[in-house]
Amino acid sequence: MQEPAAERPPAQESAAGGDGRAGAPARSPGGPPEPPPDRQPVIRVAGVSKRFRRTLPGDRLRTLKSALVGGLRTRDLPREETIPALEEVSFEVARGESFGLIGGNGSGKSTLLKLVAGMLRPTTGELAVEGRVAALIELGSGFHPEISGRENVYINGAVLGLSRRQIDRRYREIVEFSGLADFMEEPVKNYSSGMYVRLGFAVAIHTDPDVLLVDEVLAVGDEAFAHRCIRRIEEFLAAGRTLLLVSHSLDLVAALCDRVLWLDRGHQRLTGNPRRVIDAYRQAVAEQEGAEHLAAARASQAEEGEVMRWGSGQAEVTQVRLLGPDGSERYHLESGDRAVFEIHARAARPLTDFVFGIAVNTPRGFECWGTNTDLEGFVPGELAGEAVVRVTCPALRLAPGEYAVDVAIHARDGAPYDYRRRALGFTVTAATDGVGVYFPEHRWDFTGGVSWGSATGRSPRPEP
Amino acid sequence: MLRVARQILRFRGLLATLTARELKARYRGSVLGFLWSLANPLLLLAIYTFVFSVIFKPRVPGIEPYALFVVCGLFPWIWLASSALEGSMSLVSNSGLIRRAVFPAELLPMVSVLANGVHLLLAMPILAAGLVTARLLGYAVGGSAALLLPAILLLQLPMIAGLAVGTAALTVYFKDVRDLLANLLSLLFFATPILYSLQSLAGRPVFWWMVRLNPFTPFTAAYQLVLFFGQAPTAALWLQMALVSVVAWALGAGVFERLRENLVETA
Repeated sequence: MQEPAAERPPAQESAAGGDGRAGAPARSPGGPPEPPPDRQPVIRVAGVSKRFRRTLPGDRLRTLKSALVGGLRTRDLPREETIPALEEVSFEVARGESFGLIGGNGSGKSTLLKLVAGMLRPTTGELAVEGRVAALIELGSGFHPEISGRENVYINGAVLGLSRRQIDRRYREIVEFSGLADFMEEPVKNYSSGMYVRLGFAVAIHTDPDVLLVDEVLAVGDEAFAHRCIRRIEEFLAAGRTLLLVSHSLDLVAALCDRVLWLDRGHQRLTGNPRRVIDAYRQAVAEQEGAEHLAAARASQAEEGEVMRWGSGQAEVTQVRLLGPDGSERYHLESGDRAVFEIHARAARPLTDFVFGIAVNTPRGFECWGTNTDLEGFVPGELAGEAVVRVTCPALRLAPGEYAVDVAIHARDGAPYDYRRRALGFTVTAATDGVGVYFPEHRWDFTGGVSWGSATGRSPRPEP
Repeated sequence: MLRVARQILRFRGLLATLTARELKARYRGSVLGFLWSLANPLLLLAIYTFVFSVIFKPRVPGIEPYALFVVCGLFPWIWLASSALEGSMSLVSNSGLIRRAVFPAELLPMVSVLANGVHLLLAMPILAAGLVTARLLGYAVGGSAALLLPAILLLQLPMIAGLAVGTAALTVYFKDVRDLLANLLSLLFFATPILYSLQSLAGRPVFWWMVRLNPFTPFTAAYQLVLFFGQAPTAALWLQMALVSVVAWALGAGVFERLRENLVETA
């Protein structure tokens, strides 16, 4: 195999931002959202839809008839007899580009990958892929369980279009990379899931494909192997090859991909810059989780007889919103983002004794932070009609996790006008993990006899 | 049709590997191993010799020894029947392979066809030994026309391949095909002049035509001609075989191609 790190085309270099790949999930903040027009697309997907035939009981005979008369084209079936998996998806991937697919379970990511791999055919639309495609779609895919690892390497290589002699030349490297030298004569049915992935990846990457499709499987390998895979993928990309990656590990996608496509129940929601797309996706997930979480929490607490809202009603909290760094409403923040808690209040009759309070709790009820206008020295004047109160945190450094917000308006002696528990839920993520609820800005410095394998300590982790 | 053929030719190396593996896998764990490929036809020949010389003595002028005549048609028939039966199930039973990986599905039925073809080839030395023995005993059987055997085998290959590929694709959608095929093959076995000769039907025109129009008859007749009678097939017979083979391949590959769109996800 060539040592391709040096061959990286300059255009890619700038997109990656120097040695940005070695570091954490900030590979291409300035990366081009669309492929440069001068580069030919290797993968071209144009208006592709895929529908699966619904398994209906007792229509076999009709199926037989229609099959023999006109073939079994799914596009000719009435809609209610099909399950839509992908709807009108279009994108292009240029040579040397690394393209990520994200989305929830059942959003069509794997179907799309299988379509690109040529395993499935689109129901409608056009799809073209240039060059040799190697795919790691599912655990143990392409392996005959009954035969040895060694024979499987040859069969796998042959499926990828390599001759026996070409595989002979690479065999040693494949075995070395997989670390399975002692198990090559064993039938692969005796392999563990980690061993499947090791061998599968080793074959796929060493067969020199033009396009590599990887579906999540890397998460099965251990940390060390995952790092080795990622390094190898980086070399692969540096050699001008193309990657299509499906993963639930958004950090991995952010670290490896030039562009990302977000699929939502078969629909193409957003395509482009990884940070932007991943952020939007996280936001949507958090929004849904927040809603579900609050509903569940409210339901369980209602059952337990816990009151979620109380007070005299002399003043009323009509709405609570969380605004993100761009000033729009959101339910997902990166730790350290600017956050604004916005409280909409209404007083039926003018009040002269009032306090606005806010508290951030974990779902289990641990109070992370709380404050009110009284504590911070605001002496009330008058509250009349509609009012909007904003609490701005220039950098909200909460640890990754879920949080709920309590909001209250009460008198200075504590008599509540309107007290709302869990008025709002939101999620915080961060590039690295930490323990607890606080996530201060921090840095590690080392002097003396200590050294580290990885330069930044923030290498992308394969597991979500 | 041509697409299926092109795929098969493109992956011929893989096809050879898979066939070798299939043959190895068949005898893995058995004591006699590959010897079974020789023992099976030998036992079959012994049984037919016993049946047709001791229990049941057909008196057909010019066809002696009868058991040898029967196996000349029977061995190729076994190739066809096993290829069709195994081939028809090949996609369904390997669904894990084609659903989860990029794998040229058309190779799977072809593996059944080729593996069973190898079994037929391994039966040939047994048949040859039988023919030589019969000749030494003074029967006028066999001859240099047997050199035409490879041509007939190659001519029948597309036909059997078409049958396997087509039924394999159909079985994915309709599991009934397996039972249908098994019964159809036993029916066709008797409608093909293997246990009897076409000449013995000379007096009954209805049966004679039924058997004559059976697409498997030309091949059986050709095998019997070159192996047992030591004669070259006529030009008309070659033409019939070629025609049947082309049509069968076109049909089988056509069905495969037509059902291809949903093949992988349905298997």
